[in-house]
Amino acid sequence: MRVACVWVPQLALQSVLRREPELRGSAAALLMKTTSGTAKGRPRIVEVSNEARRAGVVPGMTGAQASAACPGVRLLSATPADVEAAEGALADVGFSFAPRVEREPEHVFFAVEDLGRLYPLGEAALAQTIQAQAARVGLEARVAIADGKAVARVASRARELAAVPAGSDGARAFLAPLPVTMLTDDEELRAAFRRWGTRTAGQIAALPLDAAAVRLGAAGARVCRLARGLLGDADEPFLPALPQDALEEAIDLEYRVYEIEPLAFVLRGLVDRALARLAGRGLACAGLTVRLSLDPRGLDVRAVPIAAPTRDAATLIQLLRLDLARRPPDAPVIGARLVALPARVRATQLDFLRAAGPAPDKLAATIARLAALVGPENVGAPAVVDTWREEAAAVAPFSFSSNAPLPAPANDGATLTIRRLRPPQEIEVLVDLRGPVALRGRDTTARVLIAAGPYRASGEWWREENFARAYWDVHASDGAVYRLHQDERDGRWFLDGYYD
Amino acid sequence: MSALDEVLGGGWPRAALSEISGRRTTGRTAVVLAALARAARAGEAVALVDMGGALDPRAAAAAGLALPRLLWVRCAVGEALKAVDLVVSAGGFDVVALDLGDERPRVPTSAWIRLKHGAERQGTSVLVATPARAVGAFAAAAIELSAPTPRFLTDAGPPLLDGARVKVTCVRRLNRNLERESERSVASPRGARGDRGTASGSEPAPRQEGGELCAWLAFGCRS
Repeated sequence: MRVACVWVPQLALQSVLRREPELRGSAAALLMKTTSGTAKGRPRIVEVSNEARRAGVVPGMTGAQASAACPGVRLLSATPADVEAAEGALADVGFSFAPRVEREPEHVFFAVEDLGRLYPLGEAALAQTIQAQAARVGLEARVAIADGKAVARVASRARELAAVPAGSDGARAFLAPLPVTMLTDDEELRAAFRRWGTRTAGQIAALPLDAAAVRLGAAGARVCRLARGLLGDADEPFLPALPQDALEEAIDLEYRVYEIEPLAFVLRGLVDRALARLAGRGLACAGLTVRLSLDPRGLDVRAVPIAAPTRDAATLIQLLRLDLARRPPDAPVIGARLVALPARVRATQLDFLRAAGPAPDKLAATIARLAALVGPENVGAPAVVDTWREEAAAVAPFSFSSNAPLPAPANDGATLTIRRLRPPQEIEVLVDLRGPVALRGRDTTARVLIAAGPYRASGEWWREENFARAYWDVHASDGAVYRLHQDERDGRWFLDGYYD
Repeated sequence: MSALDEVLGGGWPRAALSEISGRRTTGRTAVVLAALARAARAGEAVALVDMGGALDPRAAAAAGLALPRLLWVRCAVGEALKAVDLVVSAGGFDVVALDLGDERPRVPTSAWIRLKHGAERQGTSVLVATPARAVGAFAAAAIELSAPTPRFLTDAGPPLLDGARVKVTCVRRLNRNLERESERSVASPRGARGDRGTASGSEPAPRQEGGELCAWLAFGCRS
């Protein structure tokens, strides 16, 4: 099986450079506390950029030694959140090309046999495309395509872009000039091969396999088989995994953020990186969850609903900003984690002769802005409530999806509809035996010319807030027709609204 | 509503700001809902910015309005113009109505200009329902509803509200052709716009009263 191996060397350092892309091309070194040896617990250089290496910075140095060797070196520290996000981004590079991907530290593998039709220019061009996709998500990767994971892994170490010829002979020829150190990390094996005078994979491939196995054991035999290009899927099977349901990007800050705008700036980076990963997989963001780490402790978790899947960073940032403005964090923020829910972009077949309606992403942003302005309970599609209370109204989420025309109603004439006062306004009403004769409210004082009613309605007897009302339609002397009711439980009068 | 269409010379203008003014029970809300219902039935998205939240969903549905296609924004006095501006700027809405209810907020001229330009840019018909004329010269069409005469059935016993008859007057109707003509003949003192309810010869000719087109609308009632 043809397998692509994407290797991101020094993933921890790259995870920091992914967060701070302006540092790319400059001398940078990753400083981490050592976990073993005499300097246990002390920070040492563990990974260095090419520029820093050229200036003499090597792993194992202290920060002071690195600065002395290269005065302009940037000493960086990677947080677990950075590394985790970079690993997720690396996996997404694989998911951009294949539905199943096997993950290893700093590596992903995926089958590329079926990609010939999509990339007819050959495997070298495919490897280049994979590398470009890795660059889009902020990773500098080396890509190799070969028969089996083992050969692909070695080939990715040998060259930045490699397409190993198919078959064991092709693999053997490709591996032959490579040094032994590329075939194995086992120091004992390396020393043994050195003692035998075998320095390249070609020399190892020339060794008798059985004799090598007797002297070096199973690990040595494996290296010999690898050098001969015989290590295939049976020796190292492909163990693919499905993509995760949600995609996470995170950042741990070295400072506190007190205000919304700087926080939105931080979140912008997370959103951009998440969208780049989603775009590679042909997906969009259907929902956002933001977990803010607060200082000194505590979490602020907020879910930002999105009306329609979108890849528009500006829209998502606007939604986040509005949500933060509506409910600011209670304490300074020292970290943020963004969880994006992937979804397919809505495919809509537009009608040639009809308007498309509001664009889903713009509609989502508009509804969010309206919700921030007037409150989320006041924006949406009106809905009829199943109750006998006349004034009941509900707001349902608005999502314009269908633009199919509806049949015209039987009676297309205009009808007077009632304009509701919410809540009903308490008024004074003068009544005689036939009904109301005058009414006085906050902004209504009039004689009643004609009164139609009463229309009795009662309900919800099983609740404490039950109702029993006598409704009247009255034509008042100010020209309006009012709808009012008397609460039959306590005799008070209320103005429900007027016909208009 | 054919009488209203005749008064308007074919209906509400597209991509323009229009005004409906009238006091209580003059059918302002009915006219707005009819315009929204017609656009929603045609498959368009419509929006209502409702100051005070006076819309009765049950009555609106009974008036033929497809509720899922209506974006309903309930807001207070200070938020209405901002809300309608947001909706119009989003684009894609065929009709956006701003219902000012019984309020007469002080609206800066710049707000109407902005709304007018937004409507022109997005191709949206923006209807502003007010108790008294407020939009002024920024409206491409303006009607005034007055003299409501409620109709009660009294034949078979106690009275029953049956509907109302309302006088509708077109107080402003910008004829785009005339406007273009006037733009071409700026130098001419005779190039003034004839936008005050003038009807061209081919248009239906509702009754003229004092130089203004007017008609009577009859509203039913489904209370």
